[in-house]
This record gives sequence, C-alpha cells and structure tokens, in this order.
Amino acid sequence: MKLYRPATILVGLLFVLLGGVTRLAGPDHVFGEDQNLKVEHGTIGEALPYAGSGSTMKVTRIKFAKSIIQADASDDDKPFETNGVFVAVEWDAVRGVKDPDSFTPTLITDGGSVYTKVSDPSESRIDFPDAGFASTGSVVFEANPADLKGLTLRLKPSMLFNVYNSEIRVDLGVPTEAIAQQMVDGAVDQYVINDDVTRVAS
Amino acid sequence: MESLDEVIDAMIADRVIHRHRRIWLLLIALIVAAALVVLATGGWKEKKGRVVPTMEAPATVTAGRFEFNFTKAEIVRKPKTDYSAAETTLKVYFTAKNIDSEEHTSDSVQNSLLVFVPGKGEDLVDSNGGDCHDGLNWQLVYGLPPEECSTKFKVAPDFAADMVEIGVFEEHYEADNGALGLSEQPYWQRETPAAVVRLKPTVVVDDGKDG
Repeated sequence: MKLYRPATILVGLLFVLLGGVTRLAGPDHVFGEDQNLKVEHGTIGEALPYAGSGSTMKVTRIKFAKSIIQADASDDDKPFETNGVFVAVEWDAVRGVKDPDSFTPTLITDGGSVYTKVSDPSESRIDFPDAGFASTGSVVFEANPADLKGLTLRLKPSMLFNVYNSEIRVDLGVPTEAIAQQMVDGAVDQYVINDDVTRVAS
Repeated sequence: MESLDEVIDAMIADRVIHRHRRIWLLLIALIVAAALVVLATGGWKEKKGRVVPTMEAPATVTAGRFEFNFTKAEIVRKPKTDYSAAETTLKVYFTAKNIDSEEHTSDSVQNSLLVFVPGKGEDLVDSNGGDCHDGLNWQLVYGLPPEECSTKFKVAPDFAADMVEIGVFEEHYEADNGALGLSEQPYWQRETPAAVVRLKPTVVVDDGKDG
C-alpha cells in the first residue's frame, strides 16, 4: 500500500504555496506598519531618489492659499473655495530610464492627519514624465489649519506585490504651531494652478 | 507491476459502486429536485424586509467615515432638444462631514455609499459620487466643518415620484482575519446599509439657460 501518492503530495504542496501567496498579496494587508518601505527623508529644494528607479523628485516651493483656480479657466469656472486652507506643492521631477512605480501623494502631519490631493481641477497633479525628460508642476491639497505641524509630503509607491521598496518624505518646513498659524494667516487669496511643463532632462 | 492488493481493491470498489448504483442515482436526483424546489419558492434566504431605520428629511445620518445631513431632492428634467433625447436625473442635496477619527484621512463620498431605492423589488441605483464645491468626488478633510454636497442618480426619462428613498451605506473599521496570514491592522471596509432617508422631491426643468 502506497502511503504518499503523487496527488497527496501535490495537495500538500498546494497548501504550502497558498500560504505563500497570502503573504505576497496586497502589501497593505500583510505589512501593517510599512516594514517593507525604506524612507528617503529630505527637505524643500532637495532632489530625492525615488524607489531605485533613477528618477528624482524635488519640491521647489510650497504656497498656502484660500482658493484655487486652473490657469486656463473659462468664464463658467469658479475658483474652488475652502473652509480650511489649500497647500500647493510645486515640484520638479527628473525621470530615469527605468519606469518608476506609480505613487499616491499625501500630506501627513505630526497630529496624524492625512490629506489627499484635491480631485478637481485636473491640473493639480504630480507624476514622472517619459524617460529622458523632466517636468515641473504643482499639486494642491486641502488641509485643516488646526493640524499643520510637521507637514510632510509623502510619496508612497503603490505595489501589486510585496517587494522591498522606498518612499519619499519631504519635510515642508512647518516645525511649530506658531509657524503654521503664520503661514495660514499669510495665505494668498488665490493660487493659480498651471499645467505641468515638460523639458528635456539635461 | 500491479500488486494483487490493488487488483482486489479495484474489484471490491467496482462491486460496491454497482450494488448501490440505483440508490446513488436516486439520491442525486432527490438533491437536484430539492434544489429546484428551493429555487422555485424564492431561494434559501429568509426575506426579512428592511432592517435599517427609515427617516424623514431633513435627517442626520452617521455612517462610517461620514456624517450626512440630507436636505432636499430635485427631479431635474432636461427636455428633448434637436441634438439629445430627454433626460431625467434625481439630484439629492446634503451636507457631508468627514468624521474619520480612526485614520484622520481625507476621503471622498464613494458612489456606492449612497443609493437610490426605487422600491417594488427593483435593483438599487448607485449615485455618481459626492459632488462638493463643484468638484466631483471632492476629498473631504477630517476636522473641517460640513460641506455642501450633492449627488445624482440616473432614472428613466418619465420618472415621477412624490417621495424618494435614498439608502445610505456605512463602512466599518475592521481588520482582516489574521489566521489567513493577513495583517490584523484595521482599515475601513465592508459596506453595510445604515439608514434610509425619505425626501420629497421638487421638479426642476433644466433647459440649459442660466437664470
């Protein structure tokens, strides 16, 4: 009598593989604490490497605003107002040869808030151009003026599989509540979002 | 080379299967018949009717990450023109506030969170998402006051009603099952019905002209 027929072994192997597949699937659901992400810290004006792809991202300046509008607005387009404050982040991206992973931009604070970019207008975006090019543009976030201390831009790669990866965190220079208040008070009435501009990477 | 044991095993198995073949066939036929009967009588699931509360507008509903306050509804009729057929949409106005005290994360009102309940056993109609500030799927920020929002539902061109019912879904802040090898860190998931709000719609004609 054969105890282990090939089918028995195959079923056993299948279960082992299934266990492994769960670990691979949905990185967010496996590693809760982002243990598989190396963090690239930086400040405004510093070009930070993105996920080992040879591409770099640099925040050139930030601007606080009470309302936003796209540059080529038609008569029907009203500026977007807010009960909070808009934070516009102007960026400069240089693309490497390897295709960088797509990412989700968020602003995080010491208070634990996570601000996502505004869904409208579409000119507010942050992305890498095609290989061999560089581009500049701006991305706008709506934020709560009461929680701005430690404002940091976070670019987290969206991963299909669980791989060791790196994320970018740019300190936007709001170290204290007092400075945050000053920046909110000094917010411009209107910020015009220009479409991003692409140039040849030098 | 087959061993004698295996040959005998196969013979016995053959006999057993043949001896009870009729019973097996009967049993399978019975199961199929039972399944058909259950299907014909309206399925296995017990019909319980509505289990969530029904409210009259204006009503405040706290559902998962958001707090909604429903104010009014409009049936917007677009008359037929030379270039397009007549269209009717159901537009519901509400204020929405992000109350995500777990993650403090900005989020938009997903289109599946608000549904139109036509009643009479018809399928629910998904909305087109929360339209706040004239920005579709506007990201609501935690900690800011409620925003004026609206959402639209596609309805038949000749749609008319004295009263419409809007279903509100809520998400739950839960973790996955750790036994499956998944992280036990909770996140917003699993939409379930939270409430139904009744509104009296007014009819508005949108002929494309301002004022």
